[in-house]
Amino acid sequence: MSKKGYNPPKKKMSKAAFREHCYGLAFVAPPFIGFLVFMAFPIVFAFVASLTTWNGMNNMMDHFCGLENYIKLFTDEKFWKVLGHTIIYMIGIPIGMFLGIFIAMGMNRKIKGIKVLRTMYYVPVISSLVAVAILWAFVFNYDNGLINVIIKALTGKQGPNWLGNEAWVKVSMIIFMTWKGLGTSIILYLSGLQSIPRDYYEAARIDGASGWKLFKNITWPLVSPVTFYLLITGMIGGFQVFVEVLVMLPTGGKNYSAATVVFYLYDKFAANKYGYASAMAFLLAIIIFIITAINFKGQDKWVKTID
Amino acid sequence: MKKRFVSAAIVAAMLATSLTACGGSSDGTESGAKKDGKDTVSIYVYGNDQEQAMYQELFDKFEEENNCTVDAQFSIKDDYGTTITGMMTAKNLPDVFYMGPENVKSYVDNGYVLDMKPILESEGLDTSDILSSTLSAYEYEDGQYGLPHDSSVFAYAFNKDLFDEAGLDYPDPANPYTYDEFVEVCKALTKDTDGDGEVDQWGCAFWPNLMIQPWLYSNGTSFLTDDYKTVNVTDPAFIEAMDKMVALTTELGVTPTVEQEAGTGVYQRWIDGTIGFYACGTWDIAAFMDPEVVNFNWDLCAYPTLSTGETYAWCGTVGYCVSANTKNDVLATKLAYYMSASDESMKLQSGIEGGNSVLIPNLVSMSDNEFAQAIADGTLKYPDNYEVLFNYLNNANGYNSRFNDETFTPNAEWLNVFFEGIDTVRDGSKTTEEYCNEIQPEMQQLLDEAYEDQ
Repeated sequence: MSKKGYNPPKKKMSKAAFREHCYGLAFVAPPFIGFLVFMAFPIVFAFVASLTTWNGMNNMMDHFCGLENYIKLFTDEKFWKVLGHTIIYMIGIPIGMFLGIFIAMGMNRKIKGIKVLRTMYYVPVISSLVAVAILWAFVFNYDNGLINVIIKALTGKQGPNWLGNEAWVKVSMIIFMTWKGLGTSIILYLSGLQSIPRDYYEAARIDGASGWKLFKNITWPLVSPVTFYLLITGMIGGFQVFVEVLVMLPTGGKNYSAATVVFYLYDKFAANKYGYASAMAFLLAIIIFIITAINFKGQDKWVKTID
Repeated sequence: MKKRFVSAAIVAAMLATSLTACGGSSDGTESGAKKDGKDTVSIYVYGNDQEQAMYQELFDKFEEENNCTVDAQFSIKDDYGTTITGMMTAKNLPDVFYMGPENVKSYVDNGYVLDMKPILESEGLDTSDILSSTLSAYEYEDGQYGLPHDSSVFAYAFNKDLFDEAGLDYPDPANPYTYDEFVEVCKALTKDTDGDGEVDQWGCAFWPNLMIQPWLYSNGTSFLTDDYKTVNVTDPAFIEAMDKMVALTTELGVTPTVEQEAGTGVYQRWIDGTIGFYACGTWDIAAFMDPEVVNFNWDLCAYPTLSTGETYAWCGTVGYCVSANTKNDVLATKLAYYMSASDESMKLQSGIEGGNSVLIPNLVSMSDNEFAQAIADGTLKYPDNYEVLFNYLNNANGYNSRFNDETFTPNAEWLNVFFEGIDTVRDGSKTTEEYCNEIQPEMQQLLDEAYEDQ
């Protein structure tokens, strides 16, 4: 035995195994190449761009500025302002969850026409975001919008300036985003509810548990994986809100009061500040990563499974 | 075996589709290459359906006259700038494309566009009849880097029917109103027509982003100093002009309020016939002359004058330029010239032929003669005071026009921030002075950055 230890003889791959190996690689290749071309390359490219003052026309590598864009971002008041708006919009996530589970529990019964009802709630999810945003801009119209017309008919008073007032515009966006995402919450909660074994409830009822206790101790813990999923996807999506603002308030609203991080990023792109916009995109990705990591870390404390 | 063949075919197809997504010319024709043995010149422009049909007709004629192929791509205005920047990054520019005066310096400095002057001279393509103020917008360091597609101006219009109802004389284009006269007329036009206690007809209306400039220019001021390097919004003349404009909304109440504007926009209110004075660009004429769009009588007039006593409007242009990397520089320059200054192109696009006007001719002699004649004999539908447009464009008869400041800066980000918060002044939350003092440093910083980054 040599010092290096025992070296087993290399097995020569049979022709058939080799062919199979090649087929395997060929099948893996398209998504892998797709990932390299459409994900890995743009990520690396964006990171390099974020270290420059590239404007799309000049030579990117001649305008290397190190971490200057990142340092500038930390002192950019507007960035923090739009980050604040983005976080405010996330108030819609718990509201959507609450409404979602509430409506899902209502739908988790044998009612006539329940399928029609479920479909209706899901329609906003499958509708074009641009189309429904335009529609909601009409709904929020100060003069003739559906909401203000109803308010005027009921109270005789003029309703708020939903999209023109710096505070109300945030309420409007939260209402719209909650409405748009509600269908997804309902469907997911519904599937969560249907997977809870009936025996649990029966056993608890025999022990004399009230409706609230059933919800608190059985339903809520056992749909917590759904809640966790909605929280994670909601927060990731929440940090990326853009189209809603662009369609309903193309200039970002009065005093930029409706603008989000991605909207600001887009404005910087439009001003040909590709380097700065890339830095913002990267910082946003880091923020999303950290928030998601914290959520995953904390899930053990509250996410329960049936097993 | 068959199974293997099918698997291999699927894999090949998947690979092919994933790789073809990586781009390349749609028809494999490279810029300047030959197609069917003919020279090919590519052009990328934007326009609505009507304009695109006109351009295609002109490209067909150009192909015939020059025995070549024009590879034309069209888009809409909103997407254009981003696409061109993308094409620059990919080093895949068409031979001929649009360039605004604001891009001349950066496109030239970065080597994207060709100086057309030597080719224009060697080919005998005369530019002396092109409106000089517009042509000069494409000159840079003794070179001619673009030829105008159009020369437009944002003039002023009034609703004749509202004047008739109020028993007022129409504005005299030869004697623009002073500010005080304008205010009096606006007051007379502002009414509660249905008696519900709320005003529903106004003397005038503003879309500040596009309509503040005539007030500033007439007060001898602007957003930037003359070298376009310093933000000038704290200049007393600037604040005075803006104050006068804002007062029409806040103190005098002769415009819709900011809240009312949020409900129904001012453009729509003008179209609905509830606004006395509103701006009218040369590009608006066709729509405003269409009774299905505007079903009241209207005409053009001058903007009121402030301290200089002169009426001002802003003008604009976009031009054709030729890629520095074109393989057919002569043919590409000829195409740019053909679109910009040939009789055929100008007659068709101005409506002298065909009756559909999408622009005013770039050629001065044509504007003064055939175009004016077509309006006079009714071939072209224009308002009676159409000369207001020419007066502004030619800086004639006491009228003035100028390019806005952002035309000469690398980007307009510094200006956009000004308009983001302007409604806080127009709704009375802040005074003009407070706002201008507050926003000036941010504007200056963005302007400085724009110059640094170019």
